[in-house]
This record gives sequence, C-alpha cells and structure tokens, in this order.
Amino acid sequence: MRLVKSLITGVSAAVLLSSCGAGGDDQGTEYAPNMYHSVAYEPYSQITDEDAGRWVTSIDYPTSVEGGEGHAEYYNSNRFNPHRMNMREPAPNTVKRNAQGWLPYRLPNDSTGLRLASRLKNPLDSTAEVVAAGKALYEMYCDHCHGPKGEGNGKVAEGVEVDGTKKGNYNGVPNYKSDALKKITEGHIFHVITYGKNLMWPHGSQISPEDRWKIAKYVKTLQK
Amino acid sequence: MSSNSRFVPLVLETDTSLIMIKNYLHSTCKIFLFVFTLISVSFSAYSQEIPKEPAAISAGKQIFDSNCKACHRVHQKLVGPALAGVYDRAPSIDWIKSFVKNSSAVIASGDAYAVNLFNEYNKTTMTSFSSFKDQDIMNVLAYIQDETIKGPGEQPGQKQKVVDGPKEEGVPATYLNVLLVGMIVILILLVVILAFLVSSLKRFLDQKALTEEEKEVVHSPITAGTIASSRGFIFVVAFLVGALGFKAVINGLYSVGIQQGYAPKQPIAFSHKIHAGQYEIDCKYCHVGVMKGKSATIPSVNICMNCHNQIKSGTTTGEGEIAKIVRAYNENRPIEWVRIHNLPDLAYFNHAQHVNVAGVECQTCHGPVQEMDVVRQHSLLTMGWCIDCHRKTDVNTKGNAYYDKLVELHNAKSKGNMKVENIGGLECSKCHY
Repeated sequence: MRLVKSLITGVSAAVLLSSCGAGGDDQGTEYAPNMYHSVAYEPYSQITDEDAGRWVTSIDYPTSVEGGEGHAEYYNSNRFNPHRMNMREPAPNTVKRNAQGWLPYRLPNDSTGLRLASRLKNPLDSTAEVVAAGKALYEMYCDHCHGPKGEGNGKVAEGVEVDGTKKGNYNGVPNYKSDALKKITEGHIFHVITYGKNLMWPHGSQISPEDRWKIAKYVKTLQK
Repeated sequence: MSSNSRFVPLVLETDTSLIMIKNYLHSTCKIFLFVFTLISVSFSAYSQEIPKEPAAISAGKQIFDSNCKACHRVHQKLVGPALAGVYDRAPSIDWIKSFVKNSSAVIASGDAYAVNLFNEYNKTTMTSFSSFKDQDIMNVLAYIQDETIKGPGEQPGQKQKVVDGPKEEGVPATYLNVLLVGMIVILILLVVILAFLVSSLKRFLDQKALTEEEKEVVHSPITAGTIASSRGFIFVVAFLVGALGFKAVINGLYSVGIQQGYAPKQPIAFSHKIHAGQYEIDCKYCHVGVMKGKSATIPSVNICMNCHNQIKSGTTTGEGEIAKIVRAYNENRPIEWVRIHNLPDLAYFNHAQHVNVAGVECQTCHGPVQEMDVVRQHSLLTMGWCIDCHRKTDVNTKGNAYYDKLVELHNAKSKGNMKVENIGGLECSKCHY
C-alpha cells in the first residue's frame, strides 16, 4: 500500500510540474519572476493590468489612478502617453541627425519637390562598396515588389498562386528599363523612396537617407 | 387666261427647272460631299484602323507591359483610367497619339477632354512617351482592343478560400504509426510463442510421474488475478510508473522559466508563412530596427499599409483581418501585438550586434519563421543556450577592421579560429549589468 501511495504522489507531482511548460497562449511558469519583469519602462512589453504581479509586490508603488491603490509589481505602462504606450512619439518637428550630419530632407512632397529633387546630386561616390551596399538594401526593401532586376516582377507585384490562380498582387509596379524611367536621376529615386509616387507608398520611415542614396545608386546600375 | 394659263406653266416650268437645276446642283454637291466625306472617312479609317494581327497584339502587349502597366490596366482603374474601349471613348485616334506622346502639351492647349481627364485623376500628369512611334501606339491599341474583346475575366483577389486546417507533417506521423503497429504485432507473436511453450512444457511434465502437489502447481490456472498478484508483475509496473514519473518531474522542473513553444494568439491573424514564405518579403523590410539597434522592432501600421493600401483581400483569411489594419491606420491607433520573445530583464541582448556585425541569420535563433502561420518561440533562450553558441561560433571578422588586432593577438597564442568566447563572449558583465 505504501508503494501505491508514493506512486500516486509521484505521478501527481509530475502532472503538476508538466503544466509549467509554455505552449499556445500559455507563457509557462516563471522562475524568480521579480528578476524577469522590468521596473523601468520597457518598450514592447506593455503590461496594462494594474494588478499584475500583486502576489510578489513588496513595496508601495505610486498610484497610477487618482485615489486608487498603488499598482502592483509588474504593471508597466505610462498613463501620460497616448494609448498608455511606454515609448513616446518624438516631439513635432524633431530633427534626426545621422553620423554624416546630413540635415533632414526638406523638399516637399509635390510635383515641384520632385522636379527639384531630380536635380539633387547623390552625396555618395559611385564606389563598388556603395553599390554593393545598395544591392543588399535593395534586396531588403525593394526586391519583393520591383523584382531582382527591377523589371517590376517581384513576388508581391505578381501575386501568389492559390488554387491555380494568381491573387493578392500589388498593381502598378513599373519596369525600371521602360522609356519613361530611363532618364530619371538618382535624386528622383531618392525623392520617390522618401515620399512614394503614384501607387507606391512612402518608405522614408523605414530607410534612412544614407541608405536611400545607396539604393538610388544601385537602381541606376539596374537600368543599364 | 390662256396666256395666263400658258404663262403660269411656263413660269412654273422655268421655276421648277430652275429649282430642279438648283436641286440638282445641290444634291450633286451633297452627293459629292457625301462621297468625299465617305472616301475621306474610309481613308482615315483605313489609316487609323487598329490592327488585329497577333504580331501587332503581342508587340503591343510587350510595350504595354514595360511602359504602361505601372499606371494603367485594361479593365481596372489604377493611377490612370482603365483603358478598355479607349479607342471608342477618346475624341480620336490622333488625339490618343498626341496625348501619349506629350500629354501636358495637350492639356495646356486647353483641349476639354484632356483637361477633364487631368482634373478627374487628381491632376496627375501622364509621363510623356515622346520616343513612341505611331505604329507603337497602334500596336498598344491593338493589344487593348484584344483585351477589351476578351473581357475582364476573373479579377485577381476576388475569389476567396476557406482556410484549410494546418497540414499534418505527414512523414513522421505515418512513420510512427507503422512502428507502433509493428511493435504490437511482434508482442502478439511473442505471447503466442510463449503460450505454445507453456502448453508443451505442461505436456512434457504430464508424461512424468508427479505428486498431487506438483500436479496442482503445473495445472494452476492462469487468471488476471494470479498475474496481478505475481511479484514480477508488481515490480515491472512499479518500475515503469516510477521511471516515467521521474522523467516527467525532471522535465517539468526544466520547463520552469522557459518559454520555448510559446505561441500566443495575436490581435490580427498575421501569417509569416504567407508574407515571408510565399511572398519572400525580407524579414528586415518590416523589422527595420534589426540592423540598427537592440530591438528588431515590431512594424508600425504604416509599414503594413505600404502593401495593404491596395491588397485588401488575403489569400487565406479573406478581408476581415486586413480590414483591422486599415481601421487601425485610419484611427491612428497602434496594433497591440503580443510579445513572444520575453528575455528576462536581467539579461541584455542586442540584435544589431548579432545580425549586422556577426551576420547571423534570423532563422538561426527564431527557427523557420517563414513556415509558421502562428509564430512560436523556437529556441530555449536560456543562458546555457547563449553560451553554447558563443563557444561554437567563429567571430565574423571578414572586412571588419575592428577585429584586426584581436585576430593578430589570438593567432599569436593559439591555432584555432577565433571564437566568440575568446574575445569575452562568456564574460558575465557583457550581458548582465
């Protein structure tokens, strides 16, 4: 009988412990959770539940709600920000400087801006490194629409085949080698990456100015 | 009266003849004019006839695809109007030619049709294709006419499909089943063989002279009760349960604090399998921070909208899921994705150092994300896992002057390649501070 009892205890312990693992929506059991959770505001780990981690809370945290109790240990949200986000949007008109000290791109997003942009000179030299870097960046940011050779036949432009029919494609991707685009300058390409044109949306938020100039250099080599 | 009567007819006659002459002249003129216009029309129609030969159509398709497709479709409004039936709609074929060659000049000339068109399409100027020959434009029109006659056909992205359940990973499952069936067959065979052995032994013992007690032992019946109370059976069962229980306890203890396999449901049923797998969009297109900073960054809504401003219907999920992005974009509201990889606050990790400097592929740590519909944590993300990689991996020193001196010093002392652990990859304070 003693054997049976000890077996039952062992098995139930095993069952209990096996529920510690993560999977699906379950994050699993944390070991030493106080060291896992950041007290400081952490980007990308917003915890809006004020009672999260109440059971380990040992200090009085300041109240986050007027007249309410102090929030618990794991609460990680900033109520002063929109959507209680932990990251703040930069103040309006913030100027981002980069290593080269280039000032922000000031030409406006209109036809005048585009006309002026096409007169801009690429601040980078046409070295093999710049073109190679441009190629790598092109493959990251442009390839899937514009195609590996810039013929407007990327996977996104063509769509994917589902049940024998192509669908989910993005219309309006031009061929770099078409007569209309042959004459465009690197400045024009820079402007279009920044603001988009026709059906292409702006990519200025994703690609830094320096990288845009590198891509412009590479795109010109594709047109040859 | 007679003179009168004579006169009248005369007058009448003259009058009629005059009129007749006039009429004759007029009608000849008219006929002549008519014939002339007919000739001229048929002549011009002849010169402006849109070719129907397959050669012209295919030449036109080629020109259309490389030059026009960016803004025009035959059956669909894009940047510019849908071109189906444009040859009937536009003022004339000549008008089309001059518009294609230099649209802004036509608009500047105050042509009403052109100005209307310009205003209708948000004052977007059509690129001037001055290098096109008349024949090129006629070929393009031939292609458009051909497509117009064919009709729109099925529009891409219209048809929707219900999601199939996630496909079983076929080979291992069937393999396991076959193995299991095989083992069961072997066990049954064993039981049969043992039963034969028992019965033959019994027969052998029966031939010998046995006492009553011995006979009882030989012929004792084998029942469930006798098996369950036998010592061997109890030992085997206790051993099996004990061993399995022990293994489960150890596994359970090891899974504490490890989130491997965590695959939470996200607010939008985004599939990496479609985006990174089928469309082959580079990871870095959306996770823009991965080369630049600590976090790989979760894409902001505007990055989703770069494609989904146009692609409104998903290949597997229909329109509902994509509509959530558009709604968030219109309301200027972030999408609250659930974070999957939660490195504890006590450890520091930087993506840029690993991806940009070391050139580690995303999949090395994150697994085959391009095959996952729902992303799960692939790696352990424990300290042992980090250190293991730092011990095995050679430092990517190629083309990086920062490492030149270190490589020199390392090569002076040892022969092997410089691993991450050789340049402080195991130091506590590199990650814990």
